[in-house]
Amino acid sequence: MSYLSISHVTKKFGDTVVVDDFNLDIEKGEFVSFLGPSGCGKTTTLRMVAGFEIPTSGKILLNGADITDKAPNQRNVGMIFQSYALFPNMTVAQNIGFGLRIRKEPEATVKQRVDEMVSLINLEKHANKYPYQLSGGQQQRVSLARALANRPQVLLLDEPLSALDAKIRVSLRAEIRAIQKSLGITAIFVTHDQEEALSISDRIVVMNTGVMEQVGTPFEIYNFPTTVFAANFVGSLNNSSAEVVDPANSLISIDGVQFESAVDLKQRRKGDKVRVAIRPERLSFASEQKKANVVDATIENVTFLGSVVRIQVKIGQTKFNMDTFNNPFLELPKIGSMEQVTCSREAVLVLDE
Amino acid sequence: MASEKIGKVVEMSILTRIRRIPFWSWFWFILGALYFLLPLYATVNFSLRMERDVIGFKAYVRAFEDPEFIKTFLYSNMLALLTIVASIILIVPTAYWIRLRLPEARRIVEFITLLPFVVPAIILVFGLIRIYSSPVKIPFTDTTLLQPLTTFEVGTDILIVAGYVVLGLPYMYRSVDTGMRTVDVRTLTEAAQSLGASWFTIIVRVILPNIRAALLSGALLTFAIVVGEVTLASFLGVPAFGPYLFLLGQHRAYEPAALSFASFLLTWVAMGLIQLFTGGQGQTTGAH
Ligand SMILES: Nc1ncnc2c1ncn2[C@@H]1O[C@H](COP(=O)(O)OP(=O)(O)O)[C@@H](O)[C@H]1O
Ligand SMILES: [Mg+2]
Repeated sequence: MSYLSISHVTKKFGDTVVVDDFNLDIEKGEFVSFLGPSGCGKTTTLRMVAGFEIPTSGKILLNGADITDKAPNQRNVGMIFQSYALFPNMTVAQNIGFGLRIRKEPEATVKQRVDEMVSLINLEKHANKYPYQLSGGQQQRVSLARALANRPQVLLLDEPLSALDAKIRVSLRAEIRAIQKSLGITAIFVTHDQEEALSISDRIVVMNTGVMEQVGTPFEIYNFPTTVFAANFVGSLNNSSAEVVDPANSLISIDGVQFESAVDLKQRRKGDKVRVAIRPERLSFASEQKKANVVDATIENVTFLGSVVRIQVKIGQTKFNMDTFNNPFLELPKIGSMEQVTCSREAVLVLDE
Repeated sequence: MASEKIGKVVEMSILTRIRRIPFWSWFWFILGALYFLLPLYATVNFSLRMERDVIGFKAYVRAFEDPEFIKTFLYSNMLALLTIVASIILIVPTAYWIRLRLPEARRIVEFITLLPFVVPAIILVFGLIRIYSSPVKIPFTDTTLLQPLTTFEVGTDILIVAGYVVLGLPYMYRSVDTGMRTVDVRTLTEAAQSLGASWFTIIVRVILPNIRAALLSGALLTFAIVVGEVTLASFLGVPAFGPYLFLLGQHRAYEPAALSFASFLLTWVAMGLIQLFTGGQGQTTGAH
C-alpha cells in the first residue's frame, strides 16, 4: 500500500473534463513533479489533494485513510503558492507559528518550533520582519517554513518558483530539495518548467490536457519518452515522420534515408507510418570506424550557444539539430558542406504517429 | 553684451516657469476653494459674534453647556457605534463570501448597496414604520412573537440602527470590498485553511486585520452619516443629535453656527485619521 494514492480521479467543471482518470501512487518521502503546459490540470489535481476541490469521481487515500471529501483544514497537508500567500499582518515568526497556535500547542513548543524553522531556512535575522520587508525568495522560504512547521503529511507546491528570477529560482529549488530530503517529507511539486522538474524530482508525471502522458524517473522521461507529447515537452528534440522498412531488424526510413533503432518494432508492419525522435545531443559527426546509422548530411547553419554549439543539418529532406559541446579547438564545419553524421541505435526513438 | 544675454536667459526661465503652471488650472482651483471656504468662513465669523462688538466663544460655551446637547450627542454616538458594529458583522462576511465563492453575484450586490442613494431616507423610514408598527407574528399563526417595535424604546433603537445600517451600506460595503481587493483574500484563505484554520479564525485573524484601514474609513463615514442624520431620527421620534440641531437652528441664531463648525472640525479630524491609517503605510503593509 502506497503512502498517497490518487486513484481514478476525474474532475469536471461543468461539462469540461479538466482531469481525466488520474492514477498515481506515491511512496513516503518521495518527491513527485507534475509537469505539463499551462492549463493541463496540474493545479486542479494538486488542489484535490489539498481539499480545495472535490473530485467528480475517484478516491484519494493518504496513509490508508480516505481523504477524498475531507475539508482542507481537516487534512494535514502543507501548501505552497506561487504568490507566497504570507499573512501581511504577521511577522515571519508569527506566520510560521500560525498553524501551531491554531492547534493550541503550548506557547513554549510554538517558540521552539518557530526557532527551529527559522534557522532551517536561514532567516534568523529576519524573524521579526513583515513579509513586505523581504525579497520574493525570502518570502517563499518563509512560506515553506510555515507549511513545514505543522509537520504536514504531504507538502504540495504549486509553481513555487515561477515568480522569482532565474538565479534565485535555481538556488531555491536546490534548497527545497535538500530540505525535503533531510526531513524525509513526501512532496508534490507542480511546474511547467521541464528543467526544474528534471533536476528536482524522484519521479515526474508528464501531463497534457488533463491526461497523464507518462510517469517515470527524470532519466526515463528524458531518455525514453513513450509519447510524442512527452518527447517534445521534455528537452529539445528533432522529430520527423518516418516509415517502417524492416520490422524484424528495427529499420526505419526518413525520406529514404535508413536508420536502425534499438526499439523493438516487431509489433509493426512494413510501411507503417511512425514518428521518429532524436535528441540533438545524440547526433554527432561520424568518426573513421564504421558504426550503424552513418548518414550523409548537408550543413545548413551553425549557432553558437555558449557551452553548446548547435549545428543544423539536412538529412534527406528533413532538418535536424545537432548539439556538440563547445571547446576552443573545435573546428566548425562550413555551411553548405557535406558531412557524415551518426547516432547510436538507442538514440532513435520510435513513437506512434 | 554678456550681461544682457544672461538677463534674457533669466527672463526666459521665469516666463517658462509661469507658463508651466497653466492659468486655467489655478483659476478653477481658486474658484473651487472659494466656493467651499467662503460659507465656512461666514459661519465661523458669525458664530464668534454672539456678543455685540466682541469676538468670542460665547456661542460655543452656550451650545456645549446645554444638557440636551450632551444627551442627544451621546445618544447619537451610541447609535453610530451600534450601526458600525452591526454593519461590520453583516458586511464583512458577505463581501468576503462574494469574493471567495460568488464572484458572479458581485454586480447584483453592488447594485443593492447603491439603493440607499436612489431610495430617499423618508421612504425608508415610512416603510420601516409601516411594517414594524404592527406586532411581529410567527407566520401563518396568531401567536405574537414581539410587540410592535415602534412601541417601546429598545425596539425603536433596533429599528433606527437597522435603518442606519442601510444608509451606511454604500460606504461600508465599498470600503470593505476595496480593502479585500488589495489583499488576495482567496489565496490567504486557502493558505490559512491548509494550516488548519476554521472560517471564524480566518475571518478574525487573517481577513479583518488585513482590511483594518478599509474598515476604519467605512466606520468613520458611517459615523458621520449617523451623527448628523435627521429624517429617520425625527420620524421615529428618538432623542438624537440631528433633530436637536435642527430644532436649535429654528430657535437660535449663533449656537447652530458654532455647532456646525465644531462638527465640521470633527469631520476633518476623522478624515485626517483615515489619511493617517491608509495613506502613510498602505493597507497591506500596516504594522501592528
Ligand atoms: N474553478 C474552475 N472553474 C472552471 N474551470 C476551471 C476552474 N479551475 C480551473 N479551470 C480550468 O481547468 C483547466 C486546468 O486548470 P489548472 O489545473 O489550473 O491548470 P494548470 O495548473 O496545469 O495550468 C483550465 O482550462 C482552467 O481554465
Ligand atoms: Mg497552475
